[in-house]
Amino acid sequence: MPETAPGFAVIGKSAPMLDGKARVSGLAVYTADMTLPGMLYGKVLHSTVPHARIVRIDTSRAGALPGVHAVVVGNEFPNRYGILPIGHDEAAIAVDKVRYIGDNVAAVAADTEAIADEALRLVQVEYAPLRAWFDAEESMRAERDLIHDDRPHNIEKHYSHNFGDVDTAFARAHLVREDRFRCPAVTHAAMEPHATLAAMQIDGGITVWSSTQVPYYLQRTIANVLEMPESAVRVIKPAVGGGFGGKSEVCPLEVIAAMLSKKCGRPVRITYSREEVFFTHRGRPSQIVDLKTGVDRDGKILAVAAATIQDGGAFCGYGPVTVLYSGNLLAGIYQIENLRYDGFRVLTNKPSCGAMRGHGTVNMRFAFESQLDMIASQLGIDPVEMRRRNLLKPPCFTVNNLRVTSYGFPECIDRVVEASGWRERKGKMPRGRGLGVAGSHYVTGAANPINRSDMPHSSVTLKADRDGAFTIYSGASDIGQGCDVMQVMIVAEVLGVDPSRVRLVAADTGTTPVDLGSYSSRVTFMCGNAAKRAAEELKKEIYRVSAEAQKASGKPIPQNFDEALRLALEASGVIVAHGHYAPPEAARGGHFKGAGVGPSPSYSYSAQVAEVVVDEETGEVRIEKIWAAHDCGRALNPVAVEGQVIGSVSMGLGQALQEEMIWRNGFLMNPGLLEYRSPASCDAASPDIESFIVESIDPEGPFGAKEASEGSLAASIPAVANAIYDAVGVRIMELPLTPEKILRALKQKKKAAA
Amino acid sequence: MTLPEFTLLRPRNLPEAIDSLDRHRGDIQVIAGGTDLVPSLKQRLFAPRYLLDLKPIRDLRGIRNGHGLTIGAMTTVGAIADSPLVAEKFPVLAAAAAAIASPVLRTTGTLGGNLCLDTRCLWYNQSPFWRASCGFCLKKDGKVCHVAPGGEKCWAVFSGDTAPALLALGAEIEIASPRASRRLPLADFYTGDGMARIKLAGDEILTRVHLPESSAGLRGAYFKYRLRGSIDYPLAGVAVALDLAPDGTCRRGALAVTALNPKPQLIPGAEAALRGSRLSDDLLDRLAELTNRAIKPLSTSASTPDYRRHIARVFVRRAVRQAWQA
Repeated sequence: MPETAPGFAVIGKSAPMLDGKARVSGLAVYTADMTLPGMLYGKVLHSTVPHARIVRIDTSRAGALPGVHAVVVGNEFPNRYGILPIGHDEAAIAVDKVRYIGDNVAAVAADTEAIADEALRLVQVEYAPLRAWFDAEESMRAERDLIHDDRPHNIEKHYSHNFGDVDTAFARAHLVREDRFRCPAVTHAAMEPHATLAAMQIDGGITVWSSTQVPYYLQRTIANVLEMPESAVRVIKPAVGGGFGGKSEVCPLEVIAAMLSKKCGRPVRITYSREEVFFTHRGRPSQIVDLKTGVDRDGKILAVAAATIQDGGAFCGYGPVTVLYSGNLLAGIYQIENLRYDGFRVLTNKPSCGAMRGHGTVNMRFAFESQLDMIASQLGIDPVEMRRRNLLKPPCFTVNNLRVTSYGFPECIDRVVEASGWRERKGKMPRGRGLGVAGSHYVTGAANPINRSDMPHSSVTLKADRDGAFTIYSGASDIGQGCDVMQVMIVAEVLGVDPSRVRLVAADTGTTPVDLGSYSSRVTFMCGNAAKRAAEELKKEIYRVSAEAQKASGKPIPQNFDEALRLALEASGVIVAHGHYAPPEAARGGHFKGAGVGPSPSYSYSAQVAEVVVDEETGEVRIEKIWAAHDCGRALNPVAVEGQVIGSVSMGLGQALQEEMIWRNGFLMNPGLLEYRSPASCDAASPDIESFIVESIDPEGPFGAKEASEGSLAASIPAVANAIYDAVGVRIMELPLTPEKILRALKQKKKAAA
Repeated sequence: MTLPEFTLLRPRNLPEAIDSLDRHRGDIQVIAGGTDLVPSLKQRLFAPRYLLDLKPIRDLRGIRNGHGLTIGAMTTVGAIADSPLVAEKFPVLAAAAAAIASPVLRTTGTLGGNLCLDTRCLWYNQSPFWRASCGFCLKKDGKVCHVAPGGEKCWAVFSGDTAPALLALGAEIEIASPRASRRLPLADFYTGDGMARIKLAGDEILTRVHLPESSAGLRGAYFKYRLRGSIDYPLAGVAVALDLAPDGTCRRGALAVTALNPKPQLIPGAEAALRGSRLSDDLLDRLAELTNRAIKPLSTSASTPDYRRHIARVFVRRAVRQAWQA
């Protein structure tokens, strides 16, 4: 394999993260590592009841405790916020009522954590309990004790879509299947718990360091809640130890730390305990999918009707986006000409759900790819062939107006089919061992920004200075995915210089131009394009300025870049250029209600084969191997792409086999990493994962690059479910695929056969 | 979550340790490896004024070969898992020790700590805020058992891995006491009550474990059910030790379980069933049924009682077969 992609000097050559050495040696500074002179420790009091009006809060004894410098309750900062403009329903500290066990009731800042804990014990809260809603289907029937007064039946959002002529297509179908699938809630479990340090400044501004994926939204929210101009709020993202979507909206501690600092004028740091991280959640909702698919005799999909209910928890959050991704992206991987969708986002008295790797698509993909296999089995069609018969034919617009430009999905299928020995081995393995295939896809960023405007989604400023270095100023947030080094590589490639000459200042609202944040896998495409354009502009500018200077003094125009740079700097002192990116109009989707979510400038694709062994006596599953091929357009940094693919698969396997938030009578039974079982390195869910990079070279991506970090997650789960079916002939339609469920299904099957 | 404030006492020898326990009675707790105790302190399941650290007492560490084997209570489970001597003489103990948590935790956790492990329950091993939200429970600060509502008994489950292996080997333990030090069969150490789980007075220390020479060389196997390949406590554990005659007949054998009851225990009747038997499906079914009668798993953990019963039966069959054929 060549070291770089043909024709490139830097692109296509694996490079470590800029702070890789610091991270693995323990030198990287995370928010919880930071201290400032006079810094106080903030702690939050959480509700012990799921749904109640707050009758009275008495904080006088807490406030009088020596060492306590500030106590804050909700009505002191009542301005509501939320990540979506249509969902400003949250206050960081509950104002009039609490909506879940773990909701925030009061907070204190004190000299030590122990004093802060003691102060919280002295806060007295009187609640008037309301009926609590824990089950989404039951919550939808609520007539009284609503979670938010302006949301009848506790329905946050309902979308109803109908494309093509679904009923006619079903009527002429050779086979129609209707199945119900269930997925429990899962959460991110990022290694670094949330932490925020907020420090009021002497000039009346505030500086906030926070473990966030979205510094610019945090800046806006703090400005809104503290009633300060945005320009007075500076948000800096230090090293972040993973987000996976859990830090892609504003979390209560970020606002609470700012409130406390404003009240006492001293820096305040809050670090969440792991339990608090679980109660902050913002993860994948529990979801019911009723899926109906009709096919012709050859397995060609004629129509799909999907209805889903997502249990969103207590607040809107990203909810409407999640439910729209579930529906709209159904059309983005296979050819579906007739599509109906009914999506409900329902409020319950549980922690709020949000965005999580593969946002909205994962549970739906489990249902769809499982059912596709069930249909293939009924028709006697090989599951791989079934998928090949239903491919999109890009470039194209889907029935719901998604623009698909590059499509490496067929090649992804070819790669994993070949590597896994599918043709030779499928159907010829001993009982208990099986192969399963599945596909998945994801957006490369949202074509429409959360706050609708035509402004750039990413801007990058690039400066050339007298030390011969180039400094990138970029708002993009590296949360461990490697977007810092990605920008350095792009700039070095364009300028034709060694990457060691390119520096980066990133994710600081006080110094860097706006980038919307690290979510929906948008950064490589959008910020990468902005960085590329900035570098192209800078190069042009350097040649222009140097040429003009030389012309003026009658000297020859420089041909060499470094010579041009020297002359340009001599002429103007410093050279600066900017690059921007906003998705093209054609990629922004249709005009129906809910059309805004799903459109993306480009889509990534994944195909996977799983090999499993099932113990029929215990129901235990061992995953022997996963072959995962991912179409990332072009791999700018192959080692980063492989890392993201393997990480996505691994996270998917956790959800497939063992992860779930366990609720009993409204109590979250496993708010910790001992009982919430993300895979460890020696698990059944941690098999050998062989990744394959497929490069479809996207026409609009930077050097052809597109999404790499999320799209591979969703395929892993149905690939395993399909492999279990292949191994022992039982179909599990509820996640996780536990030994107990498999055993029950095996028993039922035996009984039915007898 | 922060640790409660406490004073750490570091006695130089056993008498000093016993003296401290006596002096601060009711307000002191022993810390061995701390892998289980430290998280529990953070969760305020305990908040003693004093912690008595047994690490400085060198006497309590090490594996001594003699007539049988004597293992100090402060020997790490990692040292036991890695000991060629243990592997050779008491393979079931080596297997059980190697199944504990993870390599890092095994270098800290001790045998004594594993035997004295607090019983566990999803309604108990939680933060103060969490426990307050459900009105606390019978085992700590409350009046209700959420697992068996209406009952008076705590069903929190004993979750140590080494205990069933040691029970199957007929191990005895030594307890230092200000009155008279004593030695008793490990089987007599556990009460079966999720709250007062062990018969150890507040001023006593478990000091040593004795493995009888008569059990040396027994074939053995330990099967542990868990959802993750490491870290997890057992959701069910089965240990077996067998003495086989050259013709394959069992001269003597014992079967013990963990994580299925508030105490680890020998399966009553298993010894009689094994004695003089040859390996057969009938025998395995009989042992599985005896186990099924002896256990009462409830919804104290992530796995359901029904499934844990099932897996216990399967693991009994597999463990006995594997030990027999080893």
